[in-house]
Amino acid sequence: MIKFGKGNLRIPKWSRPVYAVACGMTDFRKSYPEKKLEELTMMAFRMMLEENDLKMDPLEIKNLINFAVYGEFADHFQDQLLCEAKVHDYLGLDLLYNMGVKTGGATGGTALLAGATTIASGLSDCTLVLGWERMDEVVTWTGNYYIATAACKDFETRLARIYASYYASMARRFQEMYGVDEKVRAEIAVKNRGYAYHSPFSQQPGKHTVAEVLAGDIVCDPLRFLECCAMSVGSASMLLCTEELAYKLTDKPVLLYTAGGSHTLRTGDRRPMEIPLLPHEKSSDYEKLYKDMEKQKGRWPGFESFGATRFAAYLCYRMAGINNPIEDLDLIETHDAFTISDLQTYGDVGLTLYGEEQEYVRSGDCYLKNPKTGRQGKCPANLSGGLLGTMHAVGATGIFSASEVMWQLQGKYDKFHGDPKMWERFGKKKPKDWESLQIQGKPKKGCYISHAGVGSHVTVGVLEKAW
Amino acid sequence: MSGATTDRVQFIGDKTKYKEKGGAWVIDLPRFGEVGTHHHTYGMLTPYFKGLTQGKLLATKCVNDNCPISKGKGELWLPPRADCPDCHKPMIWEEIKNPVGEIFTYTFVERGGSGLEIQAPYYQIDVLMKGVCTIVKGYLVNRNRPIKIGDKVKAGFRTGNEASNTCLDLYWEL
Repeated sequence: MIKFGKGNLRIPKWSRPVYAVACGMTDFRKSYPEKKLEELTMMAFRMMLEENDLKMDPLEIKNLINFAVYGEFADHFQDQLLCEAKVHDYLGLDLLYNMGVKTGGATGGTALLAGATTIASGLSDCTLVLGWERMDEVVTWTGNYYIATAACKDFETRLARIYASYYASMARRFQEMYGVDEKVRAEIAVKNRGYAYHSPFSQQPGKHTVAEVLAGDIVCDPLRFLECCAMSVGSASMLLCTEELAYKLTDKPVLLYTAGGSHTLRTGDRRPMEIPLLPHEKSSDYEKLYKDMEKQKGRWPGFESFGATRFAAYLCYRMAGINNPIEDLDLIETHDAFTISDLQTYGDVGLTLYGEEQEYVRSGDCYLKNPKTGRQGKCPANLSGGLLGTMHAVGATGIFSASEVMWQLQGKYDKFHGDPKMWERFGKKKPKDWESLQIQGKPKKGCYISHAGVGSHVTVGVLEKAW
Repeated sequence: MSGATTDRVQFIGDKTKYKEKGGAWVIDLPRFGEVGTHHHTYGMLTPYFKGLTQGKLLATKCVNDNCPISKGKGELWLPPRADCPDCHKPMIWEEIKNPVGEIFTYTFVERGGSGLEIQAPYYQIDVLMKGVCTIVKGYLVNRNRPIKIGDKVKAGFRTGNEASNTCLDLYWEL
């Protein structure tokens, strides 16, 4: 049993507020031979400076930047150490300081966290956060091995050399513990890939059916092909700044709060602990769950849940004044690298109680248009298309998720997803049956999750409308 | 007959070479020839890997009376670790005799990533063992029978000349 000391549970507090004002991204592809990595990062940087209705000339804004934080998952993929220096020079930001962060799949979220601390601390007034990944230099099976080197090399990597296998065992356990119908997982794949259909940035859009997902090849039992994200190439960026600068730069600034949690690389090394409660939860909510777990020789977080996500939400919600996520959040971007991780996350972030994740998806509240009621769901998830449908260029992912939340809060979904020229820019044609996925009713707060490994590092971020 | 149709999953990798340095096994992880080989140490966990090649499963436990979690009566760690994460004192080794456990969860690996040393397809399983505070990940040598959570398994070892000198020397069978 792990126990926290009081000091461990201190709620983070910025020394001064942190604002996000602009973001940019490339489209995402399995292979991107047309552009070098630095050229891709320039696409994201340029969109951030030039297309976010900022009230200054892009080059004047560039003159305000003090610091850059870069996210890249794996030197293996880029086959280049210190990519950060190449990118930084290419963007024309020398001699400003930059630093690279690496926390696996949570790299983008951690880059935002690190960037936010530079603003909150006074180290910087204006910080560029930019991430990328180029996963197309090797064949998929070698890419899988590279990713699997993020499992323990002494005890686990040799057991499969494919990351899906480490997730699949969690899916199996979650499925049996909570009696999950595989159709619910398939529904998540259909939903998120379906949302990707409306995004010009998306890599794997598709109008699939539950039957099609379930008929797909198994990657690692029980996960099927359409339940897994793909190797991806692309970049995303976000500009963070102080309150004073934020209102000078934009009429639609957004406040940023973020915190992280981490947990062992080997899932089996997670020792049991009591569930850290979110502001709206009571210990009595979980009396039955603990008993049910005991009957199945289970434990929390075990293989079913992500302790790191819960810990990050525990801190971030209190930091951002989220008292009840299902009431206070208008949308969420989860880290749906696999259908199962999307499902598991709903309990971790408290959109529903642990053990009721399946019912939550069935309730339809994670849809833009709740299939049950025909009205907007309470907290639509992954309107961007998520990782399943749109991208997982790992170092960029958390920044991409945060950017899509920001554009939703700013009411700019249509601007970035609905303009035929945006589709043409990426060599695509806007579908005739394109639909706007803009959240209606003036959304105020949105959440994004950035998640590594089998839950080794997770950041939770809350963005809040500030105008 | 292809191996994949037989019930027994085969080890298809090369034997991992090692040198003993300062009492530790330092294994070769080849990348590109001799000059491009990583020399990776098992460090203080060498007794574990050496134990597997002798048919022994060794775990560690904390016996520090002042440890806030173990209070001197720690459960076993498997994979082992040399130092206790709760009190930071060195742990001691203990052999698990006739190791058995039950399947906590599993997946069926249809195809692994490049360089896989186990013949696919196979079950990757996570094993719950009495007195062990962790759940150890491994592979099952039986492939043709359906399995379920709670199934009992016993440990087997690749020993002597058969040993790979890696974690794959521990396997499980129904």
